[in-house]
Amino acid sequence: MSSQLEERELLPERPMDSGSQALSEALKSSFFVVKIVMVLLVFVFLGSGFFIVGPTERAIVMRLGKPVGEGEKALLGPGLHASWPYPIGDFTRVSITGIQRVTSRAGWYAVTPEQELAGTEPPAAGTLNPAVDGYALTADGNIVHTRAHLTYRINDPIRYVYNFVDASNAVLNALDDAVLYTAAHFKVDDILTRDVAGYADAIKSRVKELVEKQDLGIQVEQCTPQSVPPRQLKEAFNSVLRSELGRNKTLDEAKSVANQTSSRASAEAQGRVNKAEVDRALYVNDITSRAQQFEQLLPKYRENPKLFVQQRYTETIGRIFTNVQDKIMVPESTSGNQKEVRYILNRELQVPKAPEKP
Amino acid sequence: MNRNPLILIIGFLIGIIVILLLFTFQVRKSEVAVVTTFGKPTRPITEPGLKFKGPWPIQRVYKFDQRVQNFEDKQTEGLTRDGFNLITSVYVGWKITEVTNFFPTFAGYTEPIQEAERNLERLLSHAKSSVFGKHPLSDIVSASDNGTNFVAIENEILAAVQTDLRAQHYGIDIDFLGIKRLQIPESVTQNVFERMTSERKVLADRSQYEGESQAAIIKSEAERKAGEMLARAESEATRIRGEGEAKAAESLKVFNQNPDLAILIFQLNALESSLKEHSILVFDPNTPPFNLFRGVSPNLLNPK
Repeated sequence: MSSQLEERELLPERPMDSGSQALSEALKSSFFVVKIVMVLLVFVFLGSGFFIVGPTERAIVMRLGKPVGEGEKALLGPGLHASWPYPIGDFTRVSITGIQRVTSRAGWYAVTPEQELAGTEPPAAGTLNPAVDGYALTADGNIVHTRAHLTYRINDPIRYVYNFVDASNAVLNALDDAVLYTAAHFKVDDILTRDVAGYADAIKSRVKELVEKQDLGIQVEQCTPQSVPPRQLKEAFNSVLRSELGRNKTLDEAKSVANQTSSRASAEAQGRVNKAEVDRALYVNDITSRAQQFEQLLPKYRENPKLFVQQRYTETIGRIFTNVQDKIMVPESTSGNQKEVRYILNRELQVPKAPEKP
Repeated sequence: MNRNPLILIIGFLIGIIVILLLFTFQVRKSEVAVVTTFGKPTRPITEPGLKFKGPWPIQRVYKFDQRVQNFEDKQTEGLTRDGFNLITSVYVGWKITEVTNFFPTFAGYTEPIQEAERNLERLLSHAKSSVFGKHPLSDIVSASDNGTNFVAIENEILAAVQTDLRAQHYGIDIDFLGIKRLQIPESVTQNVFERMTSERKVLADRSQYEGESQAAIIKSEAERKAGEMLARAESEATRIRGEGEAKAAESLKVFNQNPDLAILIFQLNALESSLKEHSILVFDPNTPPFNLFRGVSPNLLNPK
């Protein structure tokens, strides 16, 4: 090519006639075009090493087929970057930024993205078609829909990009595997209600184990499972929930009754003890004061027993008669016959009738 | 016309570019290549870098992606050892390991990777049915084992396919394999649903009865405790009263100085306190001091 170039440059130095001059002019102008094209070619070649990384992308530059830099440092952020032109250098654009998300599908019923967004679920047929609907078999041989949302971080972008055709798909496969594996070793009630946390932990640890074994170059951040009973059995599962709620309510009521019973009993018991204390105090006081009284009275009695007795007796009877409400003296019959006294009790009832009597 | 040095430089550069493009090629980290001389594979290249080759049409370069490919086989139905029908599919991560074997087998196809996967699928299907046929269902779904059998099944399928692949000299190998789908035939799901429904019914009934019986236990327990508490209080009360009586008994020796007088005083007190209010007293004039109604004692009228 370069030898041709020299020949063409020599042309104008020959003696010219009008024909050759015209030819020379034509060659000159076409040669000018060739020169422009050549310069452009060189610029295009050199310029092919420059590239722009978009805001949601990263890029890895390669020299002689090997990535430049290691780990996170190999990732170039958004902006203008340069590499050697092919075949010396090269670059790869990758859409990996920050945290990656995948959701497993193998254990979930068929649902379109629109339904997923709207939060509605497709109508349930009587059976589950293995070609369309995903589900997991549980340890107790039941069917459950279960899936997991996994977030992960790419530790080793070079592995992630250059060792796997589609690493995110490999992560998804590992997640599906982990969900099926874990569900196969949990009972349906543990997955749905009793041991949701244990189930989530088991999935997470299985995913971690798998991504480590497969050396995907990622770090698992979060794994949150979501499980529902088959839509065909919604009512049956709800009835269990309802009856469990009912059981809890019954138990709560029983507990409150039990609390009332024991607090009542406790109050009553304390009351009885207190009453006994009061009784004791009263009794002891009473007897002590009587003993004191007796000790005071005894010397007086000894001075004149008959008079003392009579005095005490009469005094007491007098007080009694003062306090007693009704006193009825029945004169002694002269004939010696017994007398009959009639008395109407319940005087309170007669009170309203009293005004009527004249 | 003098020679333009710029033109020379540009010409030189273009020459270099052409030579580079004709005689060299780059193999990326993600690729393997094989160089053919007159159509015959002569040089496999597995390390990335800038490589030399003869110009076309003498030598040609074929490059293949040597990264791990994800492949998921179609669901196949098979029986477990204890006769359960399972529909399974597995995923594998496979890659080209020996390009000298891979090239002659698959390079003739327009889509060598897909063709390799078709072959792989055949081997997978065979390996799956033989491995699942060796295990009972309880090796796959079980609450008691901690998953070792499940992993063992995956490993057995993997080992079987790897052996087959080596025997076939496809130049590919599987890095990992796992179960992707584990299902039962559609008609059987109906039976499972019926069983699950009756299971739910049992659970619902049980939690209701459990609730009632537990509630009864809680209530009766509380009543038992209440009874015990009252009984304890009662005995405590009796003890306290007894204490009082014992203390009171100490006063007895005071009364012992003249029991008759003590009895009289007690009686008088008792009489007085029992006839306090709402009492009606019927008496005859013999009762002192009402005997006064019948006159004064003659002893008093005759002073000594």
